[in-house]
Amino acid sequence: MHTSTTKILDLLSKYGKIEKVHENTYFVEVSADKVREISEILHWKLGGRFSVTVGSDERPINGYFRVYHVFLMDEQKLSIIVHVKINPAIPKLPSITPIIPGANWHEREVHDFFGIVFEDHPNLERLILPYDWPEKVYPLRKDVSIRELRNKLLKEENEGVEKREAEEKYVVPIGPYHPALHEPEYFELYVEGEKIVDAKYRGFHVHRGIEKVAEERLTINQIPFIAERICGICGYTHNVAYCQAVENAAGIDVPLRAKYIRSILLEIERVHSHLLWFGVLFHFLGFDTGFMMTWLIREKIMDLAEVLTGNRKNYGLNLIGGVRRDINFEKIEFSLKTLDYVETKARRILDKMLKLKEVISRTKNIGLLYRNEAKKLSVVGPVARASGIDTDVRKYHPYAAYSEVEFKVPVYDEGDVYSRALVRYDEIFESINMLRQLLKNIPKGNIMADEIKISEYKKGLGLTEAPRGENAHLVITGRDNKIYRWKPRAPSYNNIPSTLVMLKGENLADAPAIIASIDPCFSCTDHLVIVDIKGNIKRRIRLKELARRRHC
Amino acid sequence: MGARFHIFKEALRTGVVTKKYPFEPVKVPEGFRGKPSIDVEKCIGCEACVNVCPPNALSAEVDLNKSVKRIILFLGKCIFCGRCQDVCPTEAIKLTREFELSTLTTNDLYQVVELKMAECEICGKPYATIRQILFMAKNVPKDQRPLLLLCSECRSKVSAKYISYARW
Amino acid sequence: MSIKLFMKSLWIFHLNSGSCNACDIEVLNVLTPYHDVERLGIKLVASPRHADAIVFTGPITREALPKAVRAFTAVPEPKAVVAIGSCACGGGIWYDSYAIIGGIEAFYKILREKYKVKIPPTVYVPGCPPKPEAIIYGIAVLRGILRQKQRRTYFTEEEVPELTKDLIINIEKYMESKS
Repeated sequence: MHTSTTKILDLLSKYGKIEKVHENTYFVEVSADKVREISEILHWKLGGRFSVTVGSDERPINGYFRVYHVFLMDEQKLSIIVHVKINPAIPKLPSITPIIPGANWHEREVHDFFGIVFEDHPNLERLILPYDWPEKVYPLRKDVSIRELRNKLLKEENEGVEKREAEEKYVVPIGPYHPALHEPEYFELYVEGEKIVDAKYRGFHVHRGIEKVAEERLTINQIPFIAERICGICGYTHNVAYCQAVENAAGIDVPLRAKYIRSILLEIERVHSHLLWFGVLFHFLGFDTGFMMTWLIREKIMDLAEVLTGNRKNYGLNLIGGVRRDINFEKIEFSLKTLDYVETKARRILDKMLKLKEVISRTKNIGLLYRNEAKKLSVVGPVARASGIDTDVRKYHPYAAYSEVEFKVPVYDEGDVYSRALVRYDEIFESINMLRQLLKNIPKGNIMADEIKISEYKKGLGLTEAPRGENAHLVITGRDNKIYRWKPRAPSYNNIPSTLVMLKGENLADAPAIIASIDPCFSCTDHLVIVDIKGNIKRRIRLKELARRRHC
Repeated sequence: MGARFHIFKEALRTGVVTKKYPFEPVKVPEGFRGKPSIDVEKCIGCEACVNVCPPNALSAEVDLNKSVKRIILFLGKCIFCGRCQDVCPTEAIKLTREFELSTLTTNDLYQVVELKMAECEICGKPYATIRQILFMAKNVPKDQRPLLLLCSECRSKVSAKYISYARW
Repeated sequence: MSIKLFMKSLWIFHLNSGSCNACDIEVLNVLTPYHDVERLGIKLVASPRHADAIVFTGPITREALPKAVRAFTAVPEPKAVVAIGSCACGGGIWYDSYAIIGGIEAFYKILREKYKVKIPPTVYVPGCPPKPEAIIYGIAVLRGILRQKQRRTYFTEEEVPELTKDLIINIEKYMESKS
């Protein structure tokens, strides 16, 4: 059922004016009453998928609020952004959550930050801002500055700390932070005996206010450095996604050699992230030997990154228009030697570890996510690929140098924890293969674009495939060397709601492995609250202790 | 049993890989981004690094009573990105290869460079460091060099008068 | 200094108060085979009550503040604090956001004024993220085994030329005479 690009654009032009912003990316302005109809057509009927919702305060430019819904059509290699303008006097819009459950969190976030009410949303509560945030204070609106917010909130802070402690019902842990989301995961599991009957998620305890800082204080070329520190494991993908969004918006031509260098570092990051994930998974299954040995292989990759960029993490290699550091012959030789070592070791160690009886019995048929649930929730990355959805931004919306290399996308159908492990295992070797092609075929040339001119109020979309899934960054450039609006959306934002589906009906002792299987960063110090419905007891327990239970 | 045996064999084959730090020093590769350090003879106090530093670890303050400018580098906030090294016109600030920077107080993480400023001939306000004026002078045509001795407001007033006089 | 009571081992409790995880992974890397800090007697424990030192990573966010205070007061005396990374030392690149209190210094200010708590010996490990070797060096400085190398430096310019019209018009001659 392949609809061609022209047919899609014809259909969309009936709803509103189409604007081609850059290659394969179209913005369509629709009226508020048609939003649900067009979302249903794009997500369910034409084979596309919902990606992210962005809100923006454009009152200084044109007097309206605006909401952007981003849809990606993988087969036709298109990105379609549907946007609606909203009257600031009555800020409301029909919600698309009843049709696409995956849009639940996205709309709640726009409500938190801008005050736009989504009609017919099932639960329009606070998502990101803490429960004691003052009413009617919307941080991302343009008429409130960081200094005012700081003075207002920190004054209340000093007076209100004890009050907050007394009111909290649970002792909220500080636990792990999802690198892509910058908040800790805190799951409430309702159990009967050892079986989980329901799960709730409370999170977003760590909200650092990156979007406001980037709009007010930082210049266009300083934002790549803060984008990298969104996540300490897959930060370089955020860096590249932001730079691509600005380069697309301004029409800057990045030289091919710079694209190759960016792709090389992106793949190095993918290998290190998957090896880290295997270590964390084995640690949760109680198999610490696996943890130590996979991290032993990973150290060589960190050393390689140090030689190429100057630091083990936070590479700091990008500026708008190209990269800052070049790669020479000795570095290429060193990289190829390291990759040979990593490949032989990984094949010997990981291959055998995934064949152990204990590992298989604790991961096969556990944490199932069927294909239609996955499509409803718009999951991305290895979670989607393990449930039978063939989606990979590198293949279907190629960026950097990915159109010049050959690679396969591993897809499995079972949807359990074991298939997600197999997807990541295959991806490690595909990445090493890609790295060899990139290193051997790197062309000569400049590493920075010659002409860099960025005009004001131009829109751009940047997509990259992080180890956890796709990143989507929407950028609107501003004046005076600043950005008007930047929305980075990390992949786990779409993936975490799927754990609540996966956890129902499973044993309590499998919970750590299931939560870790979507790869939410660093769950070693995760805290859970277990609510025993029958006995009416609430206990707090660490994920690590839970993992040890079954194994010893 | 087969898988477990292979893993054990691999562990024996790998052996002991532990580095002997802190009992032996560890080498860092070339191009490593370590501690930034200002060469006090080369710095001219132009504040290019202050403008470009993302976390504002480099800051500048002007003391109007003593007519000095201080460039302050706080290693606590530094993210070791190297942008200051990219933009410095005299190659005064460079990233070294040191990474052993721990201290017991934040006071020890500061480097301060204090440079004397020149005072405007007309209004007496300190406006730029002497080193910066000497650095810029060779790029300015000879007949306009005396304008460098004035602060920016006085300079624009004098130039405006000169231009309006020339037109008249 | 009471820190000298730790003769052989130091048990640490790791508290993530809002970091991006790069520093946390370097703290875990210190336990892996290449650096293996357990040979020096350092162990990660699960509860602040078992710990001798508390390791902070990340800027202290507004939400994490009560928990950080509670975890800090739970560590029994004598204790020590290790602040890892640029976010903990001074707030990092987020230092002025509306959702951030600041680095460890701002946290100590609140502790001193509101809770009247004594400030323990603290070591600051700058870096973004600091290398595992830098973390080991930091803990060695805290225990007094190694001396710190980094000191505050203050340079004051001594001799300056007299800035006259003559000097500046003939700047090339002045430059030659200097070199």
